[in-house]
Amino acid sequence: MAKTKTPAMAAVPYVPVAEDFVLKNASGELALDANFASQSFWKDVLIRFFRKKSAVIGMLLIIIITLLAIVGPGMNAYTYSGQTLSEKNLAPRVAALEKFGIFDGSETMRTTTGSKTVNNYVDKGLEDVYYWFGSDNFGRDIWTRTWSGTRVSLIIAAAATLIDMIIGMSYGLISGYFGGKVDMLMQRFLEIMNGIPRLVIVTLLLLVLEPGMLTIIFALMLTEWVGMSRIARAEMLKLKEQEFVLASRTLGAGKFFIIFKEILPNIIGPIITQVMFSIPTAIFTEAFLSFVGLGIPVPRCSLGSLISDGYNSFTTHPFQIVPPVVVMALLMFSFNLVADGLREALDPKMKEV
Amino acid sequence: MKKYTLKRLLTSLFTLLAILLVLFILMQLMPGSPFNDEKLNDDQRAALYAKYGLDQPVLVQFFRYVGNMLKGDYGVSYNISKNTPISQLIQTRLPISIGIGGAAVALGAVMGLILGLIAALKHGTFWDTIATIISVIGVSVPSYVFALGLSYTLGFRMQWFPMLYNAQLATQSSVLPSIALSMFTMASIARFTRTEMLEVLDSDYMLLAESKGISGPALIFRHALRNALIPIITVLAPLIVDLMTGSLVVEKIFAIPGVGSLLVNAIQSNDYNVVISLSFIYSAMYIGIMLVVDILYGVIDPRIRLAKEGD
Amino acid sequence: MKKFIALVMALAMALSMGIPAMAAEGTDLNVMIETPVESLDPQIATDGTSFEVIAGYTDGLTQMDAEGGAIPAIAESWDISDDGTVYTFHLREDAVWSNGEPVTAADFVFGWQRAVDPANASEYSYMLSDIGQVVNAAEIIAGEKDVSELGVKAVDDKTLEVTLNVPVSYFLSLMYFPTYYPVNQAFFESVGDTFGTSPETVLSNGAFILDSYEPAATAFHMTKNPDYYNADSVQISGVSYQLIQDSQQALMSYQTGALDTVLVNGEQVEQVKDDPSFLTVGAGYLWYVSPNIKGVPELANLNVRMALTYAIDRAAITESVLMDGSIPTYTAVPLQFATGPDGSDFSGDQTLFADYCADDAEKAAEYWAAGLEELGIDSLELDMVVDADDAPQKVAAVLKEQWETTLPGLTVNLTVEPKKQRVEDMQNGAFELGLTRWGPDYADPMTYLGMWVTDNANNYGFWSNEEYDAIIDECTTGDLCTDPEGRWAALYDAEELVMADAVIFPLYTQANAEMIAANVTGIEHHPCALNRVFKNVVKG
Repeated sequence: MAKTKTPAMAAVPYVPVAEDFVLKNASGELALDANFASQSFWKDVLIRFFRKKSAVIGMLLIIIITLLAIVGPGMNAYTYSGQTLSEKNLAPRVAALEKFGIFDGSETMRTTTGSKTVNNYVDKGLEDVYYWFGSDNFGRDIWTRTWSGTRVSLIIAAAATLIDMIIGMSYGLISGYFGGKVDMLMQRFLEIMNGIPRLVIVTLLLLVLEPGMLTIIFALMLTEWVGMSRIARAEMLKLKEQEFVLASRTLGAGKFFIIFKEILPNIIGPIITQVMFSIPTAIFTEAFLSFVGLGIPVPRCSLGSLISDGYNSFTTHPFQIVPPVVVMALLMFSFNLVADGLREALDPKMKEV
Repeated sequence: MKKYTLKRLLTSLFTLLAILLVLFILMQLMPGSPFNDEKLNDDQRAALYAKYGLDQPVLVQFFRYVGNMLKGDYGVSYNISKNTPISQLIQTRLPISIGIGGAAVALGAVMGLILGLIAALKHGTFWDTIATIISVIGVSVPSYVFALGLSYTLGFRMQWFPMLYNAQLATQSSVLPSIALSMFTMASIARFTRTEMLEVLDSDYMLLAESKGISGPALIFRHALRNALIPIITVLAPLIVDLMTGSLVVEKIFAIPGVGSLLVNAIQSNDYNVVISLSFIYSAMYIGIMLVVDILYGVIDPRIRLAKEGD
Repeated sequence: MKKFIALVMALAMALSMGIPAMAAEGTDLNVMIETPVESLDPQIATDGTSFEVIAGYTDGLTQMDAEGGAIPAIAESWDISDDGTVYTFHLREDAVWSNGEPVTAADFVFGWQRAVDPANASEYSYMLSDIGQVVNAAEIIAGEKDVSELGVKAVDDKTLEVTLNVPVSYFLSLMYFPTYYPVNQAFFESVGDTFGTSPETVLSNGAFILDSYEPAATAFHMTKNPDYYNADSVQISGVSYQLIQDSQQALMSYQTGALDTVLVNGEQVEQVKDDPSFLTVGAGYLWYVSPNIKGVPELANLNVRMALTYAIDRAAITESVLMDGSIPTYTAVPLQFATGPDGSDFSGDQTLFADYCADDAEKAAEYWAAGLEELGIDSLELDMVVDADDAPQKVAAVLKEQWETTLPGLTVNLTVEPKKQRVEDMQNGAFELGLTRWGPDYADPMTYLGMWVTDNANNYGFWSNEEYDAIIDECTTGDLCTDPEGRWAALYDAEELVMADAVIFPLYTQANAEMIAANVTGIEHHPCALNRVFKNVVKG
């Protein structure tokens, strides 16, 4: 489009015009770059997360279990506390499955005088009674109790884990980043906190405060954040001397900007893994408290207290411990899959994978 | 490095003293008293308080306790084993707990590392899934369920190992409790090793090392594992203390004369001296191990050492 | 890595081979205990396990026969003064301590003085004062007199004279209670503070000698005492104790033959009920609910208390929840421990107070309606404190359910606490309902009825009744002491006052379900003092 100049006019310098800066053959495809930049980090994470099949399965399982924890207790006429002592220790029985010879309410008892197979529904004249997961030693429906226990455990675990993630992570990152005197003081405080056996603190709290879910969450929160802070600090120590931090500092970034915006995304992998382990730890600590009699007050139940109840019938009625253990294992398994998926989706270094 | 270690040692001592003071204050906050059996009358209770000096102000009790402790006197038990010196109560029990806990830590750490390494190196394959499932079971089934399961199968049905702890057969009878205790450690370590290794294997310096021609075990152990170790040690350290100071449930199931059940009983029966002494041992072990871990960080990762020396 | 796995495998193989069978050597009796020994000091010990072990290697003036009666032991014979207040015991010549010293009257004097010495603050000192009525015991415990003034005297090496304030009909059966056991002063002083903490620091004068023990041990052993005056009658070579706190492990150990006798948990009864080795033994404990009558206005209402006690289905608790042979109880004194002058069980008739206590949901509802109307409320929320142990928590869960379904508008919340704290809360009146238990210390209804006198520390409801206090007073120190039949009748009157006012809601008399190996006979079980006696055991 530019005009052809004659040699005589060569002394005159060229003045660019607007047309010079327009791309030839301009088309939409070349605008890809701009498109990529406008896509948010989280949307990106989501896309990468859902691309991973195992993570999606894990997510689905968690959703199903959570849904069952919400609606499961209402799916039959039993309540989590209603006892029918005449219908205790019945084996699982499901109407649709009993024709196939499974879940028909019969169980094999190992006694000191030999094993025998009995069907207590038939023996006790309870032909029309169905306990899907069986009944416990008070004649309470294990199905209902399993799901209401799952509900309690999920609430406790989620609340406790969320709180200690926030507290523990910030504590660890700050302590690790500043180092020196700050680190020294913060670590000594942590040592004192953690040097006292957890059991002493938790028992004391439960004895002083009204027993119940809030107290348990509080007790777990008080003791569990330490593990998280230690991971965060260790990661911080690993990263803070790296070039990208130095670069950011040279560019004048604030300390907290570096900690939470620059370093945090880089250590999200180990943090999330720790969170996924905090959940079972929270559930277990609660279970341990049930074991020493300081857990969720009876007749309410949690997965942990159901496992310790079932434990007492381990050699007599093994079916009682199966549902809470299986739900617990499935929960852990799915949290693991999700954690893996999240870690890979969040990790900036893995973007190109 | 030496100066740093010395400084850490000194602060650790102060931390321990602070913990001891906190413990004393906590004991005061504890509801109930060691002497509230149904059959004691008020005069007798007062006499017992006076006898053991529990009627004194906390600070007086604290300094007297510290003074006695320096002389090796940890007081006597009020309830668990009445009037028995704590040192006598603990000296036979602590080694048993440390032994069983130590075996559990070693077993858990080694198996966990192996599982984690397999999972990371064979990322996304069948082996990865198997390792994941094993570690998931490890964290979702409580140790007492493992304990009873092991006891039922290997102890009762197969009769391979004793079902109960037996001082004459200490090694054999420690096998089942150690395995039961190691499951959680194994699972945690396996998961962390996997995560850390995946991250390390993906890093640029591994690419560099690989491109320099390093390969095989040297690449994995010298370069990858070493860098993954810091977070793993961080996770392992508190587990060591927890396991070595005994586990209530496993001790209860296998009738092990360890210190874990002692602590729980002591808390529940307000046996102050036992609670304080055991907690103190726990704290000392904890702080000791944290100290070692901090120093280990430096050994493993020179950058941390440099940063610390710069302070 | 392969090498490592091989190593682990090899190690496991090595360990698994050559494990000797767990069965005992010789004819040791292998028994299980549920709780560890708290103290081997006879004057300090308070728990059943400690008593059982101490009595295994120590004889008192008398010992327990299979039925719980007192028969001669260290005392060969005794004389009782006509007014019943002076006992003269004649000690056997051949009774020796395991260090070779003879057992003398002075050993008993020293032991008893330790029991009442306020410096020792022995929990069971009241066995000498309130129960035994030994002269000056109460004053010494209160710090008003010196221990040397205790009403017990060594006339010579082998003669012991005891003076009582008033005649005590069951005094001889107190003599097998460990608080009354002898302690050799010279030995005690030679071991100092370590008395009773190891085999070297205890002396035996009984059927067995403690030969391995550590404080709060999980396993320890006693061997037959060759110098025991009655050594010929002891058939087993020793007793091996194993602490097991997990009932499933206990039963498995029994099945492998490692234990000769174990306690069975209610859950396991289904597994063993057809076994000829299975039996249930009365344990004496009365479990009951104590309402805080003084502190909670709603519980001060008699109709409300009546409603609560009638609403309990005790039979369901024992048959469906405990399943260990426990007996539903409707009296304030439990069954099978106190035998009257006519040889019958004091609480043999459980329908005696059927007008005040029964399993009757309809009556409960009537009382409930009446009670709510009097109080002018239509709903009530009560809190019950419960021990953090397995059985009480189970029973409490059932009680809550039974109460809430039978009595409309009632909500019961359970507060679970360690036992120490529960007892303290109840003694301080900081509770509404409390689930508690009481074990008999001696074979007389007074061990229970003595609790509900005004201001007794274990009168948790702070109930007070002058008529009741008067009857109890008359029976312990008054004229009725010398009139067994009259005293017995008066005790029933007292019990009726407790039941009519629903001071407690009795639940059940505890029993233990046990397995005893077929080749073992002669284990004696007792509901009070010494729960098990092994010296007459024969193991074939």
